[in-house]
Amino acid sequence: MSSKVLSLSRKIVLFFRRPKVEKTLKITISIIKWVFFVFIIFLLYLPIFIIAVQSFNNSQLMYDFTEFTFKWYGMIFQERALRQAIMNSLLIASLATLISTVLGTIFSIGIHSLTKKRRQKMVLLNQVPILNADIVTGISLMLVFKVFMYIFPDIFGFTTMLLAHIFFCLPYVILSILPKLSELDDNLYDAALDLYCKPATGILKVIIPAISSGIFTGMLMAFTMSIDDFVISYFNTGQGFDNVSIWIYASIGRQMSPAVYAYNTAFSFLMIALLIVISVRSSLKKRKNLIRFSQNKI
Amino acid sequence: MAKKLIELRNVTKTYDGSAVVDNINLYINENEFITLLGPSGCGKTTTLRMIGGFEKPDSGEIILNGEIVNELPPYERPINTVFQRYALFPHLNVFDNIAFGLKNQKVPKEEIAERVETALKLVSLPNFAFRKVSNLSGGQQQRIAIARAIVNRPKILLLDEPLAALDLKLRQNMQYELKEMQRKLGITFIYVTHDQEEALTMSDTIVVMKDGVIQQIGTPTGIYNEPKNRFVARFIGESNIIEGIYVRQNLVSFMGVEFDCVDIGFEDGEKVDVVIRPEDLDLIDPKGAKLVGVVSSSIFKGVHFELCVMVQEKEFVIHTYENKPVGQTVGLRVDSYEIHLMKVDKE
Amino acid sequence: MNIKKLGRLVVPYLIWMCVLVGLPLIIMVVLTFLKSNALDLSTAEFSFDSWRLLFSDLTVRTALKNSVVNAGIATIICFIIGYPVAYIVANSNFSNKLIILVLTVIPMWSNSLLRNNAIANLLSERSIVNDVLNNIGLSFIWPIRGVFYDSGFSPAVVIGLVLTYLPFMILPIYTVLEKIDKSLLEASMDLGANKVKTFFRVTFPLSIKGVTTGIIMVFLPSFSGFAIPKILGSGNLVFIGTLIDSRFMNRNYNFGSLLSLVILLIIFGSMALIFKVDKEGETLI
Repeated sequence: MSSKVLSLSRKIVLFFRRPKVEKTLKITISIIKWVFFVFIIFLLYLPIFIIAVQSFNNSQLMYDFTEFTFKWYGMIFQERALRQAIMNSLLIASLATLISTVLGTIFSIGIHSLTKKRRQKMVLLNQVPILNADIVTGISLMLVFKVFMYIFPDIFGFTTMLLAHIFFCLPYVILSILPKLSELDDNLYDAALDLYCKPATGILKVIIPAISSGIFTGMLMAFTMSIDDFVISYFNTGQGFDNVSIWIYASIGRQMSPAVYAYNTAFSFLMIALLIVISVRSSLKKRKNLIRFSQNKI
Repeated sequence: MAKKLIELRNVTKTYDGSAVVDNINLYINENEFITLLGPSGCGKTTTLRMIGGFEKPDSGEIILNGEIVNELPPYERPINTVFQRYALFPHLNVFDNIAFGLKNQKVPKEEIAERVETALKLVSLPNFAFRKVSNLSGGQQQRIAIARAIVNRPKILLLDEPLAALDLKLRQNMQYELKEMQRKLGITFIYVTHDQEEALTMSDTIVVMKDGVIQQIGTPTGIYNEPKNRFVARFIGESNIIEGIYVRQNLVSFMGVEFDCVDIGFEDGEKVDVVIRPEDLDLIDPKGAKLVGVVSSSIFKGVHFELCVMVQEKEFVIHTYENKPVGQTVGLRVDSYEIHLMKVDKE
Repeated sequence: MNIKKLGRLVVPYLIWMCVLVGLPLIIMVVLTFLKSNALDLSTAEFSFDSWRLLFSDLTVRTALKNSVVNAGIATIICFIIGYPVAYIVANSNFSNKLIILVLTVIPMWSNSLLRNNAIANLLSERSIVNDVLNNIGLSFIWPIRGVFYDSGFSPAVVIGLVLTYLPFMILPIYTVLEKIDKSLLEASMDLGANKVKTFFRVTFPLSIKGVTTGIIMVFLPSFSGFAIPKILGSGNLVFIGTLIDSRFMNRNYNFGSLLSLVILLIIFGSMALIFKVDKEGETLI
């Protein structure tokens, strides 16, 4: 009985080992693999696609596509509340990104130059805002800011939201820069000093350019996180200072103006376009250098 | 007499309570090629970094041209460094790397171009100016690092194991070139390495260090022929070290036999360590030889054979041009001037 | 050395973190022992009410159960989908950076609330997809939104969580997979393991670090979020996040703080876990 099973299993194994079968199997697996992969991307982008479709829908109803139109794009800045929310979102995201990138770079250099044990502790502390649940972060910050209100009564609104965004953007910037710093030659900074740079110039001229890719990643992360945040902004706003997320949250269940779909779609495309421009420019720069090099060689 | 350029007086540096450099005294002359030699962790790199200004000594003085420079930051010292893994700036091309120091010193543009070109020629990499640093081989990066340092015309060039990452052939070529460069430029070179052969080949003076303490300072031949203690004898070249007794002047006894010797400075009956270099032992007929032993192994090393000979439980290493089969009984002979005596280490 | 001086740059960050992480923790702990109107200390009195409520209130238990069930299912699905995706990207010949950008960052440029709202509409009885399908003659009804089971499992909420947080699973796993030295796999094959065995004995154990981070990065926001359940759960289900939100909106900071501390406890546990497997935090980005 068992020998029968054994010989059968051997036969199956041998069957799959036959070159032709093996080849078809391989092709099948890779097809399944890519179908799966594309399907997942499709799922991730399905909501975005629906939003885009809706932004061209003449009807306000989510379930009824009547006619193709661009009118909502014209409406983006027509509605006062939405326009204000968009302005606020962009303002907060740009400022938070700028400030947390600058501070994050400085702090990263500081953390990198600590001893190993202290560095690990700082990295752990740095993870708190990343791992912490948004709701807890939001409430924590709100409580602190409420205490601050005794000294600065008017901070709720723009100031608190900006501080909160800097708070959760900083760790992402630091986490993207730290690995770049540890890839650097330990003596790089010393070399700058050796070649007549003062400490601050040394960091500006040598360290910053060498970690620029990390800084860029950090900036991108910070901006992305800030523009998409809802929960933390929700708890740390006041005096009617709404960003897009808060505006959307308030409109859910009610009739939402399709202009927000138009804004969302337009914003995504602008960001993608910006990213493409940046990457094309950097690759052009590389090519320029290459040409310079080859000319020099001749 | 050569002029003292830099001097270290009672310099000590501690990390986490343990002394990395322990009360060092050292002076370096103008135009000297001096090598700090020792195993890793002996404090040689720390000493170099203190001279460069990257670290401050905890106590003691570093004196440059008669002035104490302990507090002088690196960017104000007339000293440049070639770092261990070169520390070339990855975002700059070769030209900008070399021009970096000159630009910071506000040297006029035309002069920068001229000096960079000269420096590139000196390291035999002309036409490399606009290459990316990351596309260069290890040897080329090494040369750029040297060019980047010497283009500033420093009084002293510090080199921290600059050849460690290169393969053997390239390393030997670079040793020769570095020595030539130093002669041509007339700059003082302070060179750090753990490779004794490198030190012997290039240096005017060798400083042997261990555990933050200078063991011996001397010329390459002096250190090789007259090591001061077991550590130096073992670290520089191979040696046979035997315990012996200084019977009286011109007579030393070891392995139960008395030998003539020329070293002085010991008391009669004092215990000494006897050093005999492997190439100083000759094979002779066992009959009438003072030392007789059996060949226990033989390895061909290219130019010579390395034989191990067991003499009364003690293994002697011998370098010889004629091979002897394992198991053969041989006699050993050593000339009196090739027997070197050392004080016994206290440890 | 100068580098040591640079270490001082950390000090402001340390102060910043103490004020914004440490201080609120203290405030929250104090609040749990009080009975107050928001932060008004003049009328506050000492009270154990919040603690009593935590162990006696049925709503809390239901909310915890609902949160754990939905977040748990979402995390498992994210892992089952995310691992293969990360694996495919790490072993593909395309520009990995671009694919990772497409998978993780670009979707986030579209507002997540809006995306979930779109999902909600998609899962409703009358959705634009159904409408389009109707127009071309196909029709099927797809009412998932609002459906939930006794266990608290709500398919719509789970779908929303998965589609929102899947990138947070893919990214850390991809990061570790990409770092695995390919020669290790060759060594394993050389030592007689086939592809499947190599995966389970070498690749997977080496990627545990990323998996741990990924699981935590998906579970925590799924567990504590309140916007997605609100949009997709159609208000019938209580989640721990919605509960905290409603307490704070009702100016009951005391019970709200206590519930936040419960979540914080879970987070500290996960952080300890992450610190154990990933000391330099390299899988978080």
